[in-house]
Amino acid sequence: MSTWSGIGQGFSVALDPTNLLYVFLGVLIGTVIGVLPGLGPTATIALLLPITYSVEPVTAVILLAGIYYGSMYGGTITSVLLRLPGEAASVVTTFDGYQMAKQGRAGPALGIAAVGSFIGGIVSVVGLVLLAPPLADLAVSFGPPEFVALTVLGILLVTYLGTGSALKSLSMAALGLLLSTAGLDPITGTARFTFGEVSLFNGLDFVAVAMGLFGVGEILHSLERTEKVQAVTAKIKGIWPTRTDFRDSAGAIGRGSLLGFVIGVLPGGGGVVSSLASYAMEKRRAKDPSRFGKGAIEGVAGPETANNASSTSAFIPLLTLGIPANVVLALIFGALLVQGITPGPQLIEQEPEIFWGVIASMFIGNLMLLALNIPMVGIFVQMLRVRAGILAAFALLVTMAGVFSVNNNVFDMWIVLGFGVIGWLMKKTGFEPGPLVLAFVLGPILERAFRQSMLLSGGSFDIFVTRPLSGGLFALMAVIIIVSAVTSRRRKAVFGRVDPADVDEPAPDADRQVTAEGSPGADSTTDTPPTSTPGER
Amino acid sequence: MTARRALAVLLLAGTALTGCGSGGGSGEAPEDYPTDDIELLVPYTAGGPTDIAARALAAHMEDELGQSVVVTNAPGASGATAYQQLINADADGYTLSMTALPTAVLNYLSNEVGYTREDFAPVGVVTQVPSGIIVPADSPYESLEDLFDAARADPEAVTVGTPGATNTHAAETQRITALYDVPLTVVPFNGNAEVQTALLGGNVTAGFANLSQDVLPAIDSGDLRVLAVGSPEPLPYVDAPTFVELDYPELVQSTTTFGVIAPAGTPAEVVQTLEDTLRTAAEEPGVVEALDERYVPAEFIGADGLGELFAETEETFRDVLGD
Repeated sequence: MSTWSGIGQGFSVALDPTNLLYVFLGVLIGTVIGVLPGLGPTATIALLLPITYSVEPVTAVILLAGIYYGSMYGGTITSVLLRLPGEAASVVTTFDGYQMAKQGRAGPALGIAAVGSFIGGIVSVVGLVLLAPPLADLAVSFGPPEFVALTVLGILLVTYLGTGSALKSLSMAALGLLLSTAGLDPITGTARFTFGEVSLFNGLDFVAVAMGLFGVGEILHSLERTEKVQAVTAKIKGIWPTRTDFRDSAGAIGRGSLLGFVIGVLPGGGGVVSSLASYAMEKRRAKDPSRFGKGAIEGVAGPETANNASSTSAFIPLLTLGIPANVVLALIFGALLVQGITPGPQLIEQEPEIFWGVIASMFIGNLMLLALNIPMVGIFVQMLRVRAGILAAFALLVTMAGVFSVNNNVFDMWIVLGFGVIGWLMKKTGFEPGPLVLAFVLGPILERAFRQSMLLSGGSFDIFVTRPLSGGLFALMAVIIIVSAVTSRRRKAVFGRVDPADVDEPAPDADRQVTAEGSPGADSTTDTPPTSTPGER
Repeated sequence: MTARRALAVLLLAGTALTGCGSGGGSGEAPEDYPTDDIELLVPYTAGGPTDIAARALAAHMEDELGQSVVVTNAPGASGATAYQQLINADADGYTLSMTALPTAVLNYLSNEVGYTREDFAPVGVVTQVPSGIIVPADSPYESLEDLFDAARADPEAVTVGTPGATNTHAAETQRITALYDVPLTVVPFNGNAEVQTALLGGNVTAGFANLSQDVLPAIDSGDLRVLAVGSPEPLPYVDAPTFVELDYPELVQSTTTFGVIAPAGTPAEVVQTLEDTLRTAAEEPGVVEALDERYVPAEFIGADGLGELFAETEETFRDVLGD
């Protein structure tokens, strides 16, 4: 199918009234949860997963994708107005966005973020259209060794580029891999870690684990929060940025679009990493870096553009290889699996309405977000007044009913509760659930591919390095490790003003800063930003 | 304490009574069956081929029996979750399950899953999906003999992708090695689609997979070639010889059979009523179309036939799975 007829088909799918409604719902929910601190896209998508099973697969993905990139817009609002990132990827926006708000320039900060997000989103959609089909063609030749390389790369990047302590990330990834081995052995069919319990034969249910760690864990954690959100809802004037603002941020938006796109494609990439990278890049390029952290508009425009661009391009590895690039995509992967669709190289050919429909919906969704965000910022801010307790009780109810509906299995409800408690404890101790869940999803792919490779090669490890693609990927990983070890010092300098404690999956909050500050970070040997006390507090 | 215990007993008794009541079957004469809703369990997720077949069948059963037939998906553990639910239900014909052979048998042969075929009362066969040995279009192997010769010449040369580790294809490939001394390396993938991708990408020499709706287009378009099919008789829609025709008379166990089962002990009259319903379903053009006519057996296979299939499958694979 040619690209143009594909796009045509995509719009005919996306403009279907039902799908149009779901795009709108998705971006609206996304914006709302982006605004609400503590409820990030990961938790929301985890909570809403079961609801999507009753709709068509394409509609489900349209909704979930809408929530994802919608939250990238919404997260900006509280970052700017309250210095409280609504979701993790907007953390860097607090540095300059909040300063702009203090200077009475909240309007332009929000305006430029929305415009930048829109441009980043659209650039990324175009990139997705151009890059995904050829990549899918290439991906057909990907064999087990390539999948080993890609999944290892994903786990490496999510732990390495992660924002907390690399040691903690690594241990969580290891735990995720361990948990993923429960169930029937993929090659011999032998039961492992099932303790004679038939419910465990298929392993721990991914949806239940994710909903527990992110959804319930987040709910429990949010109930502990005592501080009230102060309503800083002074009239926001002049949302549309001035000509000077546009001129100042044009470069940042352009670079942010490209940077976000590239980082999103990488396994382990996505929101936080892309916005951090963009901020670092803008600061490094700036003639006067000291303006950063004091209300530089580029410091808002670049990262906001990049995080939205990355949230779109992150769909590329999922739709072409069947490998989720980050945790949110892992959840969407789960949604497709439950619908009986295994994302992979043949998805574009076999389910074109899903591929093109989702792409077209992203275009429409970004337009809707631009329209929603510019005039309605004030209304979204009001939502901060919803009491956390009410929200939490409702969310817990939806979670329990939802997880039961997936397999009609009571056992899964216990898994949710169990992992909910684990997720809450992890948050309290500064362990991130992100690497755990991603490793949990990638684990079975990695194990199967590794053992298939061993079967194909007759037990020789050469197969990983003699094939050009997997060999290249492993070489790349070696380079990443060496380079980031070498540049670790320099990066620390760049992130001097960044409060790494804020930068945390899935959604940071005020408590978090306290707990994370006590955690090691600067003393680890990786490129983790140092846990210095932030300049502004 | 005593009062509380008495209350608990009362509650339990109450639950047991209502349980019987909602079961609907106890006490009534089997000839009157059915007088209540019937639950049809599907051991796989919604939207899959078994689920689609079950829903087509359920609609037909509702018309025939005059009662609601509720399809419930109970996926997991290669079907064991649904089968356990089935055998724990009253054997009154109000709880039925779809089943897939030989997976249902291989499952209890290889692991402790809490059931064997003795726990089931077979009702009848719905569809049978044949399998075949498939190679990519540009494969150097033109016939099954070519492929097997290559394997005999170099025991590590031929890798065979299968859609899973505990399904018929992996077991049947191992039987080829065991019975005919052809060294083949089984590489289990996750489902038919992944086998197809691995074949197209040249990552396995051959595939042994279901010739189901998802693979047939690639065969029709010429991207994949079938070297042999595993059905006893040649297939009208696939241009390839059978293993039997190629002098491998033993290799007829790779067909996947989808059927309906009830818990053991279900009254014979009830099973008869259900079997008749399946028989009429196989004659109803609308249902046959929904099930895909290629897969509806030309001659209906009832309760006895399905029972024999269970026994035969167990017999065939018991030895293979030892190693």
